[in-house]
Formats: sequence, C-alpha cells, structure tokens
Amino acid sequence: MGMFSESVDVVCAPSGQPLNLDWAGRHYTICAEPVRWYERRQWWAEERRAPLGSGPGLVDHEIWRVQVQVQEHRADSPGPESLTLDLTRHVGSGRWRLLRIHDALLPSRKSESA
Amino acid sequence: MSFTHLHVSTAFSAHYGVSWPEELAAAAAADGATALACTDRDGLYGTVKHLKACMAAGLDPVVGVDLAVFDDDGDHRTQVGGRVVVLAHGHNNGAGYRALCRLISDAHARTTGKAGGAVPVAVTRAELASRTVHPETLKPVLTVLIGPDSDVGRAMGGRRYLRPRTLFKSWLDAMPAGTVAAEVVSQLSPPGEPLSTAHAVRMLKLAAEHGVPAVLSNAVRYVAEDGAATADVLDSARTLKSLPELSAAPLLQPNGQAWLKSAAQMLQLGKEIMHAAGYGAADLKNLMAQTGALADRCRMDPVTDMGWKQPVVPEASVIGIAGDALAELTQRCEAGISRRFPGITGKPAEELRSRLDHELRIIDSLGFAAYFLTVAEVSRMIQAMGVRAAARGSGASSLVNYLIDVSQVNPLQHDLIFERFLSRDRATLPDIDIDVESAERHNVYRKIFERFGSERVTLMSMQNGYRARGAVRDAGLALGMEEGEIGDIAKQLWRFSARNFREALEEKPELKEFAGRVGQRDFSGNQQLDLLVDLTERLDRLPRHISMHPCGVILGDATLLDRTPVQPSGLGLPMSQFDKHDMDPMGMLKLDVLGVRMQSAMAFAVREVIRLHPSKAEVVAAGAHPVGPDGTGPDYIAEDGSIDLNAVPLDDEPTYELIRSTHTLGCFQIESPGQRELIGKLAPREFNDLIIDISLFRPGPMKSDMVRPFLEHRHGFAPELYPHPDLKPVLKETHGVTVFHEQILKTFDVMTSCGLARADEFRRALGNDALEGRVEEFFRKEARTRGYSPEVVDKVWGTLKAFGSFGFCKAHGAAFAVPTYQSAWLKTHHPEAFLAGLWEHDPGMYPKRLLVAEARRLGIPILPLDINRSQAEYRVERVAAGPDRGKLGIRLSLNGIYGLSGAELKRIVAGQPYDSLADLRARSRLSKPSIQRLAQLGAFDSLHRASGGAANRADLVHHLQTLQSRPHRKGIDVIDGQLSLPLGDVELKNLKAVLPAPTLVDTVRAELDLMAVDVSDHLMASHRPLLDRLGVTTADKLLALRNGTEVLVAGVRVATQTPPMRGGRRVVFISIDDGTGCVDSVFFHEAQEQAGPLLFGTRLLLIRGTTRRTGPRGISISASMAWDLSRTETLPFPVPASGIPDSPELQPPGPLDGISRNLAITGLGG
Repeated sequence: MGMFSESVDVVCAPSGQPLNLDWAGRHYTICAEPVRWYERRQWWAEERRAPLGSGPGLVDHEIWRVQVQVQEHRADSPGPESLTLDLTRHVGSGRWRLLRIHDALLPSRKSESA
Repeated sequence: MSFTHLHVSTAFSAHYGVSWPEELAAAAAADGATALACTDRDGLYGTVKHLKACMAAGLDPVVGVDLAVFDDDGDHRTQVGGRVVVLAHGHNNGAGYRALCRLISDAHARTTGKAGGAVPVAVTRAELASRTVHPETLKPVLTVLIGPDSDVGRAMGGRRYLRPRTLFKSWLDAMPAGTVAAEVVSQLSPPGEPLSTAHAVRMLKLAAEHGVPAVLSNAVRYVAEDGAATADVLDSARTLKSLPELSAAPLLQPNGQAWLKSAAQMLQLGKEIMHAAGYGAADLKNLMAQTGALADRCRMDPVTDMGWKQPVVPEASVIGIAGDALAELTQRCEAGISRRFPGITGKPAEELRSRLDHELRIIDSLGFAAYFLTVAEVSRMIQAMGVRAAARGSGASSLVNYLIDVSQVNPLQHDLIFERFLSRDRATLPDIDIDVESAERHNVYRKIFERFGSERVTLMSMQNGYRARGAVRDAGLALGMEEGEIGDIAKQLWRFSARNFREALEEKPELKEFAGRVGQRDFSGNQQLDLLVDLTERLDRLPRHISMHPCGVILGDATLLDRTPVQPSGLGLPMSQFDKHDMDPMGMLKLDVLGVRMQSAMAFAVREVIRLHPSKAEVVAAGAHPVGPDGTGPDYIAEDGSIDLNAVPLDDEPTYELIRSTHTLGCFQIESPGQRELIGKLAPREFNDLIIDISLFRPGPMKSDMVRPFLEHRHGFAPELYPHPDLKPVLKETHGVTVFHEQILKTFDVMTSCGLARADEFRRALGNDALEGRVEEFFRKEARTRGYSPEVVDKVWGTLKAFGSFGFCKAHGAAFAVPTYQSAWLKTHHPEAFLAGLWEHDPGMYPKRLLVAEARRLGIPILPLDINRSQAEYRVERVAAGPDRGKLGIRLSLNGIYGLSGAELKRIVAGQPYDSLADLRARSRLSKPSIQRLAQLGAFDSLHRASGGAANRADLVHHLQTLQSRPHRKGIDVIDGQLSLPLGDVELKNLKAVLPAPTLVDTVRAELDLMAVDVSDHLMASHRPLLDRLGVTTADKLLALRNGTEVLVAGVRVATQTPPMRGGRRVVFISIDDGTGCVDSVFFHEAQEQAGPLLFGTRLLLIRGTTRRTGPRGISISASMAWDLSRTETLPFPVPASGIPDSPELQPPGPLDGISRNLAITGLGG
C-alpha cells in the first residue's frame, strides 16, 4: 500500500458520492460501489491551533474508498485494471486528495511526488 | 419528520460529555425535535438542568442513565462487562423515575465515595432486572438499551459470530419481557471498527433475529462537530493518559462523529445501515418507528413523574407534632415572645404583634409552617449537642425565626424586612443557613441523619468545574507535556476564567513571559503551547467531579430516595446527585449547615478561659469585665466561669476601640487588608456600624464607588444629600447612600406604593436584561403619578439600577456582624485564649505563622514545644519562670508537626510525662524520624537540661541520627505497681558536646520546615543587615511618615488578594510581614506591569512605593516596583558616594532557603 497525498479532481453525484475522477492526466470511472467512513486524525501533532469553534474536520476526515478503472484503453495493455484508492475530501475547501493506493500493482508513475 | 435522540451525554457526564443541556435542547428544538433524552454516565447529574432546558425549548424531556453492568461471569466486585443505557418510562406517576433513581443508587452503593476506589460504579444484571418492572403491577417501567458499548457490542469485533449472540441471548433470558431494546449506532468509523456501520448492521440483525425492537441513536457526546476535540481531551483527563498514548492504544473515540445529528442526517444514517444490511425501505421505516415509539413511551411529565416544584417537607409526626403545623408554630412563637421580650407592652407590643401576624399569615398561605418547625427542630437539636450555632442569611429577617430560636438577631431592632426572606409572591422554599462549629459539623450531620432517619436525609452535592489551573494541567497532560513545565505555567494562573486564557495572555503581566513563548511559534515545543491555550479554553467550566457540598443537607419525607439518586460521599454519608440549583425545581428542602472555623475557635477560647479561670470572679478579673453595680460581674458569665457569648451586650467600648485600632487580625470578616483599611476609615462606634462595614465590603459597593461618598458623609466632610425628603427615613442610617437591599425595597415602596413583596420581586429583576425594562417602566410611571419630579425619578432610578443587583441584604450583614463582634470581644478581653483558639482551628485567611507575629506584638509569650508539656492542641499556660513569669503564654501543640502520625501523637500524649528518651521510646514507640524531628524542634530541651548534660541540640540531633535503629523492644512497659528508678536520663547526660549549637537561622528553618511557623525568631530577622543596607523602612515606622513618602519595604508574603475594583481594572493587594507588623501594599496596573512574574510567584518581597494614609490609624503602600529579596544580585543597592556600586557580597542563607515543602508558610493562595 502506498501513502500519497496529492490532488485529484472528483466528480460527484448530488448525494456527494464520487462518480469519476481525473488523476495524473488520466480519467477514471468508479466501477464498484464506494465505501465511506470518517477516520481520526492526530490533530494534536498536525495542527497548531484548535480553538473553540473550529468546526468540523479537526478530529477526523472523510474517507472514500473507491474502485476505479482507467477509461481509455491503450493498445498494448491487456485490459482495464481496477485500482482501489482512498480519497479524502477537505472539509473547508471541498477539494479532494488521494491518500492511499491499495492494489499491489502501482501505476508506472513515480511516487515521490508525495 | 422529527427524530428523538435517546442516548445523549451532557457536560454533567464528568470527563465525558462536552455540551451543556441548554445547548443540546436548543439544537434539538431548532431541528424540529419534540423530545430529547439526557442519559449521563453514572447518574442524573445533568437531569434537572435538562428538564429546565427542555421546558424552555418546548421539548418533552426523556430521562435515563448510561450505566456500567457487572460481568455475570467475572468477579462481581470489580469486573464490568459493558455499559447500557437505561431509560425511564413516563406518565406513570413517577414509577419509571422512581425505579431509575433506585437503580442508580444501587450502582453506587458498593463504592467508597473516595477517589480511586477499586469498586466501579455498576449494577449487577439481577439488580437491573428487578428494577425494570413495577414492584406491584410487574409492568415494565424502564427500558434497557443494549448498544455498542454493552458486552454484546464489545464482542462484535473480529469474526466471532457466536459470542455476541450468546451474550445477547443471556440478556433476553435475564430481563423481564418488554424491557430490552437493541441500540443501533453507526458513527461511520472505519469498516470493522467499533461504531462502524458494519457493527450497527450486526446489532440490527441480532435484534431482528430475536424479535427485539431496535432503535437508532448516535450515542451523542457533543452538540456539534466542534466538540470532538474537547471530547478527546476529556478522554485523556479521564484515563490519565496523553493523547499520543491513547491514540496508540487505541482508546480514543474512533472519530469525531458523536454529535447531535439532525433528523435528516439520522434518517440518512439509517438508510446507509439498511443498505449495508441489505434491508429495504420498510425495515428503515420500522427502525425509525420503533425509535419514535420508545421515545413516546419515555416522555416524562416533570410534574406528575418527577415532582417538579412541589415542596416536600418531613412528615409532621417526624418533627414531633401531632396536630396542625401552623397552630404549633403559632404557639411556639407565643412562648418565644415571653422569653425574648419579657414584659413588653404598649406600642412596641402592638408592633410586635402585627409583625408576627403578618409573618404567620404569609407562612400559612404558602403552607411552610412545617418547614419552619423542621428548621427549628434541627436548630434545637444542634444546641442540645452543646455546639455553637448561629443562623445567617436572610432568615435573620424573620421575627418567627427569632422567636423560635433559629436566629439570634432581632429583626425589629435592626429594621429587617420579612419580604426579603419570604413573600406570597415567592413560592420557593426559603434558605435558612445555620453556622456551626466547623469541628462539629460532621457530628451534626450524623445527628441529623439519626434524628430524621436515613430515608429522609441526604447531603447535597456540588459540581466542581474546571478553572484555569486545573484546565491547563489537564490540557498539558493531554498534549503529553512535562509535568514540571505545566506546573510552572499553572502557578502563574491567578483567578481568571480559563475561557479567557488567550485574552489574559495579552493583558496579565505575570503571564508576559509565557505569552512571549507562545508568540514565538517556532516549531518543536511552542506549537504545543499554542494548542495548550486553545485546549485550556475548551475545558473551561466543564464539570470535573461532584463532591459533598460544604454545607447543604437535604431533608424530605420517606419518599426522598425515590426522588433523588444518592451515592456515598467522602464522609461516608449518602449524598444526592443533585446540586443547589436542582433543589428548588425538585421541591427539595435544603438546610445549609455550614461549618465555620471561627465558631470552633471561639468555642475553644471560651473553654480555655474556664479551664484557666474556673470561677466567675476569676474570669471577670482576667478579662477586665465590668463588675457591675453589685460588684459580681456581668450576667453573661456563669458562676463556673463559662461565658455565654450570645448574651454579651453589643456595646462594649473596649471592643470597639480594638476594632478601630485596625489590629483586627484573627477577627471574623474584618481581618483582610482591604477590610482593615475600611475599618480604619470608617471607625465603627456601634453594632450598626459593623453591619454597614460588612455590607460595604462587597464587590458591588467597592466597584461602584459607594464607599467614598458614604465615608465623606459619615465624617461630615460633605453634607448628606437625599434625592427626595420622602426617602430620608429610608436612607438616613447610611447617610443618604443606598447600601442595603432593604433600602431598595423601601425606596420602591415609598415611591410607587407597590408593597414590599412586589418590591422584592422588582429588586430581583434588576440587572436582568429581560425584566429590568418593565420594572423601569412601572417605576417611572407610578413615581410620576405620585408627583415626583422627572429629575428625582431619574436620579433614584439610576441608583436602584446601579445598586440593586449587588447591594447587600442587611439581614446577612447583621447575622455576620454577630461573630465579628464576638471574636473582637474575645480578642479584647481574653487574647491568649482567643489566639490559642485561632491556632487550633485556623479560621483566618492568613498563614498561621502570622498569628505568631501577632502574639509577639501583643506581648504574649509563645512557649516552645516540650515533650512533657505540649498536648495534642494549643494550650494557654501560666509561665512558671523566666522574664515572662506569671504571664499567660501559649504552648505549641504537637499536632501539625510534619511526619508525626496521628497514632504517634496519641501515644505521646497518653504516655506523658516521660523522664528520659529511653522512656519515651519505650512507651510512645515513636519512629526514628519523628524523634529526630522532635529533637530538632527542641522538644527534648527541658529533659536535656534536667539531665545536666553539657551537649547542645545539634549534638542530640546528631546522636539520634547516628544511633543504630534497634529492634523495637515491645512489651517492656513499666510493670504496674513498680516505680522506675529516678535515674535521670543517662543517655542525654552522657552526650558529648562536640558540635557548635545550631544558629538561630537553623532553628527557625527547622521550625518553618516542620511546623510552618517561626517561633524562636521572626524569619525576617536574619535578613535585617541586608535590609538596612537597602534602606528599608519597617512596618512599625510607617504610620509616622507623611502621606506620599517614597519608601522601600520588605517582608515575607502573608496574603495576596485581587478584589474586584472600581472601573473593572484588576488591583492586586499583597501583604507582607516584616516582624514589626504587616505592610499592606497595593499594585495598580502600572506596578503590575513592572513586577510581572513576581506578583504571584515570590515568597520574600522588596517593594518600592509611596505611603497612602487610609485613616487615622491606617497606612498602606502604593507600590511602584517589586523585587525578589532572595535574588540579591537584582536588588537596588544604593550607590555609595564613591560612585562604584557595592558588589553585593554573598548573603548567608536565610531561614526560607532550602525549604520547599510547606506552602502554608506564605500567603501564596491555592
């Protein structure tokens, strides 16, 4: 499992559930029902401030585990592989970031951008 | 659509819940809810507040508890299987609420009431089962929710499918039918973890499988997401582990989703759970319907279920009357008239009658006669125990109370108004407070339990909330900061609300250094400091634990324990889970039986007087009491020499002289620096002056500058002004200044004819934003129609508005002034006995050592510790030899020596006298360190002298240190009938004189270290050469200086106070003692900036300032700068003529050097 935190563009259904996403120049669609949970953060180590009235997002963040397939095939690839990704949505900005890639086969790009 | 949350912890779940009942109820109501539960952990701590909040928000209250249940298979005394929520059913005439109260009391019955007990608060399943049904009808009255924290829920983890099922089944087997429901909770935690949707699904399926209703909840801990971080910090405080430790365990809540979600969000949650379970819309509807149905079943009627606002008093038979309570009360008042007012006739008798009729009519209309009889019974019982008791508070306004001996103040004489205490417009049970000797308080409680029966009595509790120091400590613990560092920060926090920590950082000079560190914000440590400030603010005011209230005793009838859960207090007696705010709503009669150390000190002094002077003639001579016309002395001294303090006339001139001298150290209420200043200015001449003095020394009058005009008028510096001639009779006694509540009532009545009862309602409305406007409108309109000019109305309204909310009730002042006068009277006439009483019971605000200084000032010899003469308490003793021969001195007590155990103390006293150290060792079996400490304190000096040895105290201490610890020689007590040979102490006699005798500084250090008092010499004495070089002025010389002289003063801190002041700016009073007396200094804003951390952190102070004359006998210092006297290099030594500053040579260590043990030496406060 790789640990990342990089920006992704996600298109969601009106209910807030992700439908498809753009990541590293490629377009993916979600091919299985996503799972959502809230995961704790080590906020006392990650934050400088925790004043009263900080609102949501200090203690936990929303995680979506999605299974995606790249949309366009390449001629040389054996078929669309599916990847399992953990995405998180930032409470304030609504922007999405990729947290983890689960499947053994990582895509060919370098991971040190994290 | 609405949703009812059935599992909600409020902030009153100590170290668990985050939000206040009002916040929760308001949020639920705003979302359209019609009901809301309060299920605090372990008790009904927040329930009454919840009731109030629900009624205000238009919700039906649901009442329950979150309770631990013992593991049936584990050790029944300690092992808990899990927690369940128990909800009371409503609208059954209290059957559900009654069962809930009793169940909670069951859960606490085995605990000790002391912190850190091994037995947890928990019930067995059998107890739970037996309480869930009505004892007669056997219908369910409680519902138990088996949820995620139950043994069933806890077994959901992993892949054990059988275990939760087995556990669930055993619940169903154990509980009566219809008393169990499954609680389905998903806080959307990561899949497979506790509180995840997967676990919720398993609970839901389990319920379906067994045909048990399931309800949806969110196990709420905070009203909104923001509270999650606070909950983390509370988890840390509860478990005493830091957040990083808890996170690693993992023991923290899985995420921050335990908030009061809206109905729509709960429905959405329900959908997600159903979806994950593979269930459909009908099942969702069923879950929501079952939740709603249980909520409906548990809606409480505050009145019929919980007895809302229905006063309950003990049954007439219990207070010993057979007939009508009012008739009995009337009859006792009649008897009181002939006792209190013998031979009263004419107009005074008429006035008395009409006042009594008036009071009895009001008492009758409120149905409170039994209440008065109850209080009278308690009061009678205390006096029968021989314990000093005095009523305080507005109860002193009542003639009935005076006549039935509850109060010692004659309300007619002091013009006290009954309506301030009780009126037809005030249906709440009034407060009557009884002060008793502090040392006897627990005995009095036990006696009350005995007298009324333990089913009718319980102690009241109090909630202890976080204040700044505790909050910063627990916030620091959560962040994993070092204890030492946190301690240093906590020490600087001085009486402000934690909520304003960040604000305080900017304003308070003593926090400047800390603020600088927070401000630096480089990474590593300082990021933590910033968080520390935020977390401290989050904890502010949150309840930490409940404890026994210092004085409240609840009295009820035989149903009391159906109406409040009780738990053991530290004292062992049961204590209600309700606090003083809950009394009135729950119709509970509370009696304040307050332990007052001064009452103990005075009782002690009176006993010492009799012991020393066992006849009336001797007491009269010793106390210089008036002999009277027949020469036998006053009536308040009995033939055996006992003094009836309550009978001492309130006009003793020598007593007022003492008060005016401002040497009032040790006197009740008038010993603080601020009070001594006020006393000096006011110069009381009579008892009413004392009442006024005590009433003026309050935050309100001090803040609003009432004191200065009052003093100017009193001393005739300025003419008295009355807003209108009609008000002259009302305001005359205070020279035109409004001081008392009683005057506010009369002002309303005079100008609007509203009657005194309504006037008191108006007074209560003053300062209340919502109500004050209406009072103003009424006042202006009515006063105008009665012909008062607009100017007069404006002016009077201004006064009422300003003083109304914080003026002082004269009845309180009068009740307080009695012990003030009595203590001053004892100090005037029997100072030795009085000081011994003060030492024994330590009632004052100052460290004990200051009383030593006071004894020195009064020329009372302090007699050293002596193994054969010192007792377990301070004793007055006639000095047998030496320069003080014939005087009365005070012998130090063996009690309070560091390390000497209570058992050792008892054995020493039982074995006195001793003829040798060997004798002492054999019979008292003292530990080696205790013997050494006694030697260090000189307790063997007289034995030593008697033995004729040549060695000194240092040799003896050394000898005792090097002595091999020998095995105890038990059982060689001197055999009865056989006298031991008077050999003298060979051990002491043969001691070799080797070491130099301890210096005075060493001796004083030992005294401070082991007894916290400096007896042999004042601890400042050894600093004298240094102070002389600095040019310091001593306290006794100050009074001779001109006003405005710049001086340096120095001494050891004895008191630090920050009374509220005019203009709202903080003023710090620091009093220091330099051996010649006390210097009171005041630090205004600028000086606080200069002094910075020295303000609260230093024991020995050098202060520069200018003298301020405060009265004919009073002077204080307005400080401009302060130094820490123990840091010699920083001190402002004068530059000699040579121009080269003296290099401060090394100071020899002072008596305080090397002592860190005993903070009671100085007045640093808590």
